[in-house]
Amino acid sequence: MTALERIMHIEDDPSIQEVARVALEVVGGFTVRSCDSGAAGVAAADSFAPQLVLLDVMMPGMDGPQTLTELRKLPIMEGIPVIFMTAKAQTQEVTAYRALGAAGVIIKPFDPMTLSEQVREIWEQQHA
Amino acid sequence: MPDTPQLQTQLDAIEARFRQRLDDELDTLDALSAQLQQNPDALPNLRDRLHKLAGSAGTFGYVELGVLARDLEEQAQQQLEATCLDPQALIALTKAGAQLRPLLQRSEQREAQPQQLDAGSPDDDRHRRIGLLIEDAGLARQMAQTLDSFGYQVIPFATPAAVQAAPSLDALIIDTSPPGNRLLEHPVFQQAPGQLPPLLIISSLDTFSSRLQAVRAGAVGFFTKPVDLPLLERRLERDFSSQQGGPFRVLIVDDDTELTARYQLVLSNAGIRVDTVSDANLLLDKMHKFIPEVVLMDLNMPEYSGPELAQVIRLDDDWLRVPIVYLSAETNAERQMSALLKAGDDFITKPISDSTLLTTVYARAQRARMVSDALARDSLTGLLKHADIKEQLELEAERAKRSQAPVSVAMIDIDHFKNVNDSYGHACGDNVIRALSNMLRQRLRKVDRLGRYGGEEFVAVLPGCSSKDATQLLESIREAFNALQFSSGGQQFHCSFSAGISACEADAWADEELLERADRALYRAKQSGRNRLCRDDGVPD
Repeated sequence: MTALERIMHIEDDPSIQEVARVALEVVGGFTVRSCDSGAAGVAAADSFAPQLVLLDVMMPGMDGPQTLTELRKLPIMEGIPVIFMTAKAQTQEVTAYRALGAAGVIIKPFDPMTLSEQVREIWEQQHA
Repeated sequence: MPDTPQLQTQLDAIEARFRQRLDDELDTLDALSAQLQQNPDALPNLRDRLHKLAGSAGTFGYVELGVLARDLEEQAQQQLEATCLDPQALIALTKAGAQLRPLLQRSEQREAQPQQLDAGSPDDDRHRRIGLLIEDAGLARQMAQTLDSFGYQVIPFATPAAVQAAPSLDALIIDTSPPGNRLLEHPVFQQAPGQLPPLLIISSLDTFSSRLQAVRAGAVGFFTKPVDLPLLERRLERDFSSQQGGPFRVLIVDDDTELTARYQLVLSNAGIRVDTVSDANLLLDKMHKFIPEVVLMDLNMPEYSGPELAQVIRLDDDWLRVPIVYLSAETNAERQMSALLKAGDDFITKPISDSTLLTTVYARAQRARMVSDALARDSLTGLLKHADIKEQLELEAERAKRSQAPVSVAMIDIDHFKNVNDSYGHACGDNVIRALSNMLRQRLRKVDRLGRYGGEEFVAVLPGCSSKDATQLLESIREAFNALQFSSGGQQFHCSFSAGISACEADAWADEELLERADRALYRAKQSGRNRLCRDDGVPD
């Protein structure tokens, strides 16, 4: 299995963006590119070439599902797992996100200490 | 590899910035909700902001604030979806801002922090808050003293109403004597489960009806007068330890991967750790790696039947305790029976509702953990026994390997313990052992695992701790233990311990080796004069 190194995090809330970046970089040892909107994520995908994307669901402008659709149009994103992060924990929604092609869902609030482990577990499932 | 102090500093800084923004955010929410009555167009904006707050507040430790924000967000969403606005609901939402701010203040008073990051320092459970609602002044005083000596923070209350007004407690002890006292009928004790801390009830009557009344009030423990205080303390400790030990681990054995994915989601959303096996050949291997507390098993798989696999699991003595629950479309009671007779403990019939699944698994897991806890703990100290601390070490080493985090092991041995027994008697020796085990338990963190390895020998497993952090932590405990004064038959004396510490921080993940290295380091500590720590971090001295 290729090791997971580059994660793109698309999130408009600066506090969450920061805490996730620190959690992923320091605890997980990943390289993180934070983008504060769906459009910024789509624009940065080519140059950053993420191996995995963490995507906030509810954002102004392009929301999570719309961003996912746009990302999927990019050749570089082929086969790249996208994980939704959302404060909504209802199972129906989670199932719906899965149907959209999400590799997993991480529920907010998350614990910065275990975020990397959660991400890694989903990564490993994808590559099992 | 996590550099914990650095991480803590960074998270603190982000938290401080979040806290600053939070003030402004609550002002905005206040203003938005206030305009709502004149201007319902503010609703979507309010909903979005509440959503954001719901996601972020909990991450930064403002748990209640996050929960209320989520609740308000849902109310706002319902209004947005409704064809016409409900004036009552709108009025409730106009108060959103005003409701949120007091929760922020409450959280700040408590400095609630969900993250336990300070690997090198003792954690919060030294100060578990125990409320006492005890009229009998003598009993209250005695109880407060005992609990205080075990390191609990004791808070006396005069009335049930005062209990409700108090910030969250970890447990509440209520004296319901004299008989006929209607204390438990107070509205405070009629709340839904989860609203109150765990209750321990003291009664002067040991009758079925007094026990039933206690159960109906949601009690987790029942004691009759005169109260055996050490027993009560053990009960408290047991209750806290069943909340510890991390999330429950559930293994799903099913060849239907889509269904499995769905169960997995339902359970993991409730904070349960789930692993799955679809190929029965990998079952035993997975069991040993994951050490599940509950196994969910499909009854009919193409090549094997559920009961066959359950029997295979049960052939191994290690897995006699683990509950096996069948998931099945089988509604024929006879066939269900015959499956249960072979092996297995329960049935859930498909189609399974999320709540049935969750309740069954939760109840089974909780019970299983309680039973294995009771079996696994040493009767003198309440710590894990030899085999179980080794199992915990395996689990932690596995976790460390996965997350690339360090883990340390300390082997601790009381110095010249035989002399204590010979000079002061075995009862006194037991007191020394109990004192050290209590001190270790209180000063180590919630995530650490502690076991009694042999007579006067203890093992502590410290996940996320480098050998340097572990040494620092153990050093402070060594000093405190050495300062403790014991007395026996009018004579006073001090004890000390030596400890060996090993750690793996990068590549050497063999857990057996961790123990051996800690043991070797302990030997060196003993050789070089006792009452000291030695470290074996794989680097030659």
